[in-house]
Amino acid sequence: MTAISQTLKSRKRRRMSAIARQDRVGLFYVAPFFVHFVLFGAIPIVFTTALAFFNADFQTYYEFITNHQLSVLTNAFAGLDNFRELFKDSYFWLALRNTFSIWLISTVPQLIIAFGLASLLANARLRASTFWRTALMIPNITSVLAVAIVFQQLFGRDFGIFNVLLHYVGHKPIEWVAGTIPSHFAIATMINWRWLGYNSLIFLAAILAIPKELYESAALDGASRWQTVRYVTIPQMKNTITFMLVMGTIGGLGLFVEPLTYGGGFDGGANSQFLTMTLYLYKQAFMNQRLGYGAAIGVGITLVVMIISAINFMITRSIAGEESK
Amino acid sequence: MKLGIRIRTGLAVAVATGLAVAGAGVGAQAASNVTLTVWSYGNVFEPKIVDMYRKAHPDVTIKITKMNLDDEHNKLLYALPSRAVPDVAAVEMAYMGQFRQPMIAAQFTNLNTLGANKIASDYLPFRWAQGTGLNGAQIGLPTDVGGLAVAYRTDLFKKAGFPTKREEVTALWPTWEKFITVGKQFQNKVPGVGFMDSTGTLFAAVLNQGTEKYYDAKSRAAIYRTNPTVKRAFDIAAKAGCTFMRNNKCAGSIGTKINQFSPDWGAAMNKGAFAAVLAPAWMLDYIKQQAPGTKGKWDIAAVPGGGGNMGGSMLTIPKKAKNAKAAWDFISWYLAPAQQLKTFQLYGLFPTTYKMYSQPSIKNYKDPFFNNAPVGAIYSSSAMKLKPIYAGAKDRLIDSTFGQALARITQGTQTKSCGSFPAQTSGAAWCQALQDIQHNVGQ
Repeated sequence: MTAISQTLKSRKRRRMSAIARQDRVGLFYVAPFFVHFVLFGAIPIVFTTALAFFNADFQTYYEFITNHQLSVLTNAFAGLDNFRELFKDSYFWLALRNTFSIWLISTVPQLIIAFGLASLLANARLRASTFWRTALMIPNITSVLAVAIVFQQLFGRDFGIFNVLLHYVGHKPIEWVAGTIPSHFAIATMINWRWLGYNSLIFLAAILAIPKELYESAALDGASRWQTVRYVTIPQMKNTITFMLVMGTIGGLGLFVEPLTYGGGFDGGANSQFLTMTLYLYKQAFMNQRLGYGAAIGVGITLVVMIISAINFMITRSIAGEESK
Repeated sequence: MKLGIRIRTGLAVAVATGLAVAGAGVGAQAASNVTLTVWSYGNVFEPKIVDMYRKAHPDVTIKITKMNLDDEHNKLLYALPSRAVPDVAAVEMAYMGQFRQPMIAAQFTNLNTLGANKIASDYLPFRWAQGTGLNGAQIGLPTDVGGLAVAYRTDLFKKAGFPTKREEVTALWPTWEKFITVGKQFQNKVPGVGFMDSTGTLFAAVLNQGTEKYYDAKSRAAIYRTNPTVKRAFDIAAKAGCTFMRNNKCAGSIGTKINQFSPDWGAAMNKGAFAAVLAPAWMLDYIKQQAPGTKGKWDIAAVPGGGGNMGGSMLTIPKKAKNAKAAWDFISWYLAPAQQLKTFQLYGLFPTTYKMYSQPSIKNYKDPFFNNAPVGAIYSSSAMKLKPIYAGAKDRLIDSTFGQALARITQGTQTKSCGSFPAQTSGAAWCQALQDIQHNVGQ
């Protein structure tokens, strides 16, 4: 009895330890990601959130680094002051509006055009399709700085090509930098140019993954071209569209490099007409040395992204609900 | 928000260097090879001059990392207390006020301990004083001095019926007020061409003729609100940006709407879309590069009020630099009179070693691009007229906020009313600038 149970047990233990060993090997494989995540993801998130409760500037930092005294930190503790100030800060709300505006006029047309391009590329009769697919990625790998210089030239008020063309048709020059909507449009164009190809390729992958049978049966049912797109292609791409909306939201609300390089400074234009949320974070945290307040802006941005993501999630769920009916 | 990481890297680097130092103790004597790390921006280090040093010192490797102006200074500020510092860091004048603060200045090597006090008398006193920390240490060695003059297009001045000889042109504008009147006359006579490129540049020009800017030199308190020089500089630049009025609102300036250093600026210069530029010495090189086809059409006159200065940098050595001695050898060589003269001849940056202003190589230097204007004499007299100006902690941010206000005037985007001033007036722009600075600086 006991002998049998003991052999059973030891066998079980051996099997367990084999699994445990495998697990440990597995842990080793995933470790780099977690180390990276803890160092560059988790710690900064926790640190930033904590920093938002302090009235910290470079002096706090210098005193803490050179004297190692905790009293520096307790003296700088500010409770909810930074958040109270943020809530009343008209520049933060302006930056929020600007960010949304640029995000809207970059994401919506971008997704529509990308979908159209992907449909073209999916066409089996297209020649040199690999060339076109590769060519679409070129904007994405071009340096943002180079893109900014070119677009500054194109959108120049006095000698930019767009205003020169407008001049020929008798239109007065558009204030591409000084105007609010024109500057948003110009920055959105930079973003669109850069990300259109990338999004098209993701759409293309999703289109190619749709089973051919679905199209065949749609054709048998006498569906028109538009009906096929509406009832076959789009529902089949639901996950891809959700993914791109989420990525677009995160990227769009974290918009930084384009407005920085387009305006050539951290102010987002003379009237702060294209000051975005992250640009404002940079301005407060590093140009104004208010690290605590900058951190509070960071927390504010996170909250905004979370709210938008929740809305995204609800919309996607309601689409899924419709389908199951 | 990146603080956590920085402290950690700081520690890691500290540990690593500690180990390296401990390990290298034995063999350190044998290796005389030094690698100098340098943080810079713009054209502080001119390649041909640095190469001369490289050739003369094959055992020294110089690694220059060029960054965006604001990024470099922000990175330096937080690196200074750690060991992740370069051997040499360039600091721009707009940031010098921040780095001079006692706590930060203490993180730099006092250059006097390396022999700076012995060469101090070579340099323009006001530029040297700008490199002294508020803790009394000499933390920076001054690079070029901007000086200030007006580069103008003789062909366009002729078109307006103005005199074209530089002495006569200088006599046109003994004061800034006169300068604006001349601009107005020009604009009326030559429609479609701006009298100057960007009227916002007048602000810094007038401001730098004073002795105090935004902070009180003694108490270090913020005085941007009450300092009459700031208001005067703003009013002059605003007047130039809002010269023509319609219904009590701004309806035109004596400049173009083009920002300096934008792509439009270069194009406008080539096409002769403006007649005058406020030009520190380094600006002349920009003009030559941007508009080579305009050679011989330019000349140079003095600025109203006599002297002026714009730009300039300091070379510093952080306290925790690994090769402070070698760094000093390099920067004191780079900014010695002989090399500054060479930099002037090759790149147009005007020397801070003022004793050679009387030498023929500077005194008699004429530039054919600018109609053989005696560039050397003009800029030395401009630089000699300046007094030290007190630089404060948040100069860069305040400069930029006033710049925004002046741009709103010329662009016609002062859409908010402010205080008792209606929208689209320069009063509202000033009022909003004060509110914005208060909002950021809190003083």
